[in-house]
Amino acid sequence: ESHIQYERVGADVTMKCGSMDWDAAVTWTANGTDINESRLNGSYLILKNVDLSQSGQYSCYEGSSWHLKYQTYLRVGTPPTEPVLMCRSNNYPKGFYCSWHLPTPTYIPNSFNISVIHGTKDMVCEKDAIPKNRCHIRYLQLFSTVKYKVTLTVTNALGKNFTTLTFDEFAIVKPDPPESVMAKPVPNNPRRLEVSWQNPSSWPDPESFPLKFFLRYRPLILDQWQHVELSDGTSHTITDAYAGKEYIIQVAAKDNDIGTWSDWSVAVHATPWTEEPKHLTTEAQITETTSASTSSFMAPPTTKICDKGAVVGSGAMAVCWTAGLVMAAYSVLFI
Amino acid sequence: DSWGIFTFLCAALCNLPALPALNCSEELGAGQSIQQTYDLTRYLEHQLRTLAGTYLNYLGPPFNEPDFNPPRLARAERVPSATVDLDLWRGLTDNARLAANYRAYSRLLCYLRVLDGQVGTAELRHRLAHFCASLQGLVLSIGGVMSSLGYPLPAGPAGPPAPPGAPAAPNDFLKKMDDFWLLKELQTWLWRSAKDFNRLKKKVPPAVVTLRLEARGF
Repeated sequence: ESHIQYERVGADVTMKCGSMDWDAAVTWTANGTDINESRLNGSYLILKNVDLSQSGQYSCYEGSSWHLKYQTYLRVGTPPTEPVLMCRSNNYPKGFYCSWHLPTPTYIPNSFNISVIHGTKDMVCEKDAIPKNRCHIRYLQLFSTVKYKVTLTVTNALGKNFTTLTFDEFAIVKPDPPESVMAKPVPNNPRRLEVSWQNPSSWPDPESFPLKFFLRYRPLILDQWQHVELSDGTSHTITDAYAGKEYIIQVAAKDNDIGTWSDWSVAVHATPWTEEPKHLTTEAQITETTSASTSSFMAPPTTKICDKGAVVGSGAMAVCWTAGLVMAAYSVLFI
Repeated sequence: DSWGIFTFLCAALCNLPALPALNCSEELGAGQSIQQTYDLTRYLEHQLRTLAGTYLNYLGPPFNEPDFNPPRLARAERVPSATVDLDLWRGLTDNARLAANYRAYSRLLCYLRVLDGQVGTAELRHRLAHFCASLQGLVLSIGGVMSSLGYPLPAGPAGPPAPPGAPAAPNDFLKKMDDFWLLKELQTWLWRSAKDFNRLKKKVPPAVVTLRLEARGF
């Protein structure tokens, strides 16, 4: 028969070969490898001060027949340390969720039990499939003066531990960060950036429970943030951006009246609008363009006369005109 | 711009001799008062934080401990509770919503006034008096909103300083418990009112214009 055995790190483990007598001749293997006889006390296997690396399958075979007499799976681990528990309402007034984890691993399976007491009433916290260490509760009553007491107990084969949280309904309200944050430059405005965002989708009723927002922004080259608090609306125009500098922008949300601020949203980057450099359309450039075009174009001699400012009769005038249009067209292309 | 059009129409109508003269005064009615009442609840909530801190320290431990979570005794039921079933709260009519607030603060004010007469230190008396005055303002403000929306004011203990039939606390500890719950309910009511008035803000248009018809010589 085979079973599982859990032992603490640092413990001394004695394994008996099933129902075999102490003085029977046996061979022990660990994960298929023979174990040195020095570890044996008769037919008992002695493991002193076990560590994690000694976890594995231990088998005991009768000396001569190699008959498998006993098999056990040794799992070395620790009893649970105090778990970390967090409860939060990101979907007020629907309810709240609690999530937990162990700060240090136990290396063996743990089971969690969560209990929620509201005054004298026991409430059921429904476990979420994903993520695993999480459960949620629906509020039956709103605006309660009685605190909620949440107790999380973690148990494994080597021991148990627990932690408790007590809180008021209002204290744990914290929305998720705003979604779809976007920042765009404003045409013809070198110091403006238009920022827009949406309410977090987990917030069920922004009509009756409006959110207010906190915007922070800074150019990438500086460390200091600028802040704006907005009591309504999901957009804002920054009007004091440094021209031409790339900005990083984030938004946070909070219920208008209760709870705490959300985490910062995903950061967005944007640079204000900048005007096209004007020097491309100066006189020098146009002369350059025209001389280039005449040389490659193999224009008739009268074109050259036009460039030099000379006008020869009305026919030449017409040619001058067309030449002028061609120059203009080329200038436009070069902008 | 709708206001411009409205004033023009008003002026036009006013000049029609055949009609009774209309006094076209735009009264910012319910909408504005709801905003003001909302602002008042936020101000009071802020004030209460300081007041409650001072008062609970005056009561001493365990009342001033942040984890203090006593069971609700039957006698505490006298204080009106803000706690309400979620769906019920959502489905309240504007009238019922306002009336619940009006009744609750009227009674809470009564209890607070009783408290005022009993506390020891001058500082506490001063703070309580200030708070009661602000709370009275809130009750009046809610009343104002109800009147402008045409709802009758709930009959209640707006007058008498002590609620009738209230049994005195049999001992000092229970008396302190009463005070503790009073402050807790007050705090919860102020949080609830902010949400109540948010809901009302959305349902009543921002400025309800009222025309006062004055019939002249008819």
